[in-house]
Amino acid sequence: MTAALSVRDLTVNFGALVAVNAMSFDAAPGRITSVIGPNGAGKSSLFNLISGAIRPTAGRVQLDGRDVTGQPPYRLLAAGLARSFQITNLFFELPVFENLRLAAQIHETPLKALLPTRRSARALDRAEELLDRFGLTAKAQELAGNLSHGEQRRLEIAVALAARPRVLLLDEPTQGMSHGDTAETADMIRRLAGEMTVLLIEHDIGVVMALSDHVVVMHQGRKLAEGAPAVVRADPAVQAAYFGHA
Amino acid sequence: MLIDRAPAPTLPRARDAVHAIAVLFFTAALALGALGWWAGDSFYLRLATEALIFAGLAMSVDILLGYTGLLSLGQALWFGVGAYTSAVILRDVAASFWLAMGATLVVTTLAGTVGGLIANRVKGVYFALITFGLAQVVAKVVYNTRELGASDGLIGVPEITIPLGFATVDAANPAGFFLLVLALVALLYAGLAYLMDAPFGRTLIAIRANEKRVPFLGFNPLVHRMLAYVLAANVAALAGALYPMLRGFVSPELLFFQTSGNAVITVIVGGVGTLIGPVVGSVLLTALRSVVGTWTEHHLIVIGVLFMLSVVVMPKGLVGAVRPWLQRRLSGSESPR
Repeated sequence: MTAALSVRDLTVNFGALVAVNAMSFDAAPGRITSVIGPNGAGKSSLFNLISGAIRPTAGRVQLDGRDVTGQPPYRLLAAGLARSFQITNLFFELPVFENLRLAAQIHETPLKALLPTRRSARALDRAEELLDRFGLTAKAQELAGNLSHGEQRRLEIAVALAARPRVLLLDEPTQGMSHGDTAETADMIRRLAGEMTVLLIEHDIGVVMALSDHVVVMHQGRKLAEGAPAVVRADPAVQAAYFGHA
Repeated sequence: MLIDRAPAPTLPRARDAVHAIAVLFFTAALALGALGWWAGDSFYLRLATEALIFAGLAMSVDILLGYTGLLSLGQALWFGVGAYTSAVILRDVAASFWLAMGATLVVTTLAGTVGGLIANRVKGVYFALITFGLAQVVAKVVYNTRELGASDGLIGVPEITIPLGFATVDAANPAGFFLLVLALVALLYAGLAYLMDAPFGRTLIAIRANEKRVPFLGFNPLVHRMLAYVLAANVAALAGALYPMLRGFVSPELLFFQTSGNAVITVIVGGVGTLIGPVVGSVLLTALRSVVGTWTEHHLIVIGVLFMLSVVVMPKGLVGAVRPWLQRRLSGSESPR
C-alpha cells in the first residue's frame, strides 16, 4: 500500500545548523504516526518542511505517492494536507465562528468569494459542524482571543480539520492542557484516525504510547529509531537519548 | 502595531452600527445638499464635493490599512493617476464622463498591477516606504514632464455634461455635481462594504489579523494582497478622476506626500476599518481646514494639534468612538460585550 505521507532524506540547514538531517519515514493511511524526541530534536522543523512553511535543502515529500516537495502551504492544503500549530495560531480578533468559516471556505468555488458570505453554505455548515463537535457552539460569537487556553487549543485543531484533510499534522495538540482536556483530546485524535492519516508531535509520552500505531524518534535532527510504540520504548538507544535512564 | 485595532468588521453588531452611521451620513449629506441648492449656494457645495472626492481616496487607504493591514503612504499616486488620466481624456480626446472613468479604470488596473507587484514584495514598514517612494518617483516624473503640464499641471479641462440615462448633470452646476459625486461615493461605499463582508473581504481581514496562518487555510496571501492593492488603487483613481471635473485642472501636488498623508490622517481620525469613518473624516477635516484657514495662515499647526488630540482621545477614530454606544442601542436588551 502507498504511504499517505512519505518523507525521503528530508534535510534543512539553517546556516551551519542542520536542523533536519536526512529524515525518512512513511505515515500509513488511516493510522497515527508520532514523531517524538527531546527539545531541539528538529520535530517542529520537520513539520514546517512537510507543511510547506519552509523549503527543504534536500529530500522529498510525497502525498499519496505524488511529489509535493517545496510546495506552498495553500497548495498542500488543496492537495489534502493540513496542520495545527504548537503555539496557538488563530485569528484572535475574529469570532470563533469566523475562524472556522475562513478555514472551511476551501470547500467553496472561488466565485463564492464575491457572493454574500451566507451563500457559502458548505463553509457555513462545516463551521457549524465543527463548533458542535468541539463543544464551542456557545462561544461561536466570542473572539478567539477571549477563549480559555484549552478552548483555543481545541479551536486550533478544529481550524486544521475544517478543510477535511486526508493527512493531518498536529503539533503538540495537548500543549498546556489540563489532564482532563488531554485525555479528551487524545480520544478525539484516536477517532480522527479512522477518517484520515495523522502525524503527531507530542511531548506527553503517555499519550504517544496510547495513541500511536507507529513512532518515529528524532534526535539532533536525525532519525534515531522507528517502529511500534513498545518496540521503540524498549530500544536502548532511544532510552539513552530520550527517556533518560529507564 | 501602529494603530489601535478597531473591533473586527465581521462582528455583526459592529457591522450594523457602521451601516447605521452610513445611512445617517448620506441622508444628512443629501438634506444639506438640498438646502445648499435651495439657498443657491456654490462655495459650500463645491467644498463639500471636494471633501467627498477626497473621501474616495481615504476609503481606498482604509481598504489597505483597515482591512488588509497594509499602510500605504503613497495612495495619492493612484488618485493622481486617475486625475491625470481623466484630465487628459477630457481635454484631448473627448469631453465624455464615461470615457474618462472607463479609461481611468483600465490605466489604473494595468499600472496598479505593476505597482502592486513592486510594493507587495515586502510587508510592514517596508511596504509603507515602497508605496511612499513609488508615489514620490511618479510625482517627480509628472512634475518634470512638459506634456503633462510639468509643475503647472494640466489646465483648461473643459466643463462637461454627464448623461446618466434618466437625467443629464452639468458638472459646472454645484448642486448637480455635488449630488452626482455624493451618489458615486455612496455607491462606492456600498459596494466596498458589501465586498469587505463577502468571503473575499473577510480573507483580507484574516490577512490583517494573522497573515501567517492564512496560507495554511488554502489562501494565497500574495494574490489577496495584490487584489486588495489593485482594488484600492482603482477606488483612489475613480475619486481622482472626478477632481478635474470639479476644478478644471490637475496639478502634481495631487500626487505629493501631503495628499497621501492627509488621506491616512483622515482614515485614522474617522475610524480605521469602517469605510464610512474615512468618509465622515474627510468631510470633517475639509470643513476644519476651510474654517481654520480663514482664521490663520498656519492652519496646518492647528490641524496637527487637533489630530494628535483626536488620536489620544479617540484612538479608534470618530466612528470607532460612537460605535459601542450605537451597538448597545441597536442590540436592545441584549447584553453588550
